[in-house]
Amino acid sequence: MSDAELVARCRRGDEGAWRELVDRFSRYVYAICGQAFRLPEHDSEDVFQEVFAKVYEHLDRLRDDEAVRPWIAQLTRRACIDRLRAGARLEVSDDVEPDGIDETLDRLDEAMAVHDALDLLDVNCREILDRFFARDESYRTIGTALGIPAGTIASRISRCLEKLRSEMEEAAPVARPVTG
Amino acid sequence: MTSNREYDSERLAALIGALPAAPRAWIEAAQELPAARRGLDDLVARAEADAEFRARVVADLEAAVAAEGIEPSPPILAALRERFASD
Repeated sequence: MSDAELVARCRRGDEGAWRELVDRFSRYVYAICGQAFRLPEHDSEDVFQEVFAKVYEHLDRLRDDEAVRPWIAQLTRRACIDRLRAGARLEVSDDVEPDGIDETLDRLDEAMAVHDALDLLDVNCREILDRFFARDESYRTIGTALGIPAGTIASRISRCLEKLRSEMEEAAPVARPVTG
Repeated sequence: MTSNREYDSERLAALIGALPAAPRAWIEAAQELPAARRGLDDLVARAEADAEFRARVVADLEAAVAAEGIEPSPPILAALRERFASD
């Protein structure tokens, strides 16, 4: 389901869609708090809840349903800035954003695109790649959880990464120089 | 931005790792927002109808929310304070 379809269903009061929306953007909001703004965990939790409360309350204000991701990024960014200002007792005019914030946000956007592509893979590939790279689980833990021999995990990771690369390149073809 | 760069394995691995899962409890609390808001509506309605109950709620919002079976998270408490302040 596209972001726009999901937003439309949330607006109609579909609670299943709301749960899906939170699931879809939870890593993104969490990463902006922790990686881009380096908030401590308890502040990240407050911002995380505040952002989703605002999304829920103000979904009607979103003019372009397809733009829900940048909107959520903006809400999160503002909430993080407010949190940093409140903690440091700074004025509104003081710049509290960490250096390199735009580059970090660009990288997280790209990571979201990769996670979107992960959703197109079969469930085993998705689980293996997420468990290994995002959850830092060992081959043995992954093997036990998924009921597959630990000795085959490395080759599965390699095959799954290859499938993921194909999905990414299909979604965003590598730019070629224009000739002629 | 992303369209002109090759996706080698190392880069894909780094990008997958850039988005670890948020704690499950945070996600579940956010997913329960619609139900929590309904609970808040009930609580506010009762407070409007019963001055004594309202005084108890205003005196200790967190306990009142918890007694309704709602996680007294910061956004829920802030929303409630706002609603009582505007009455």
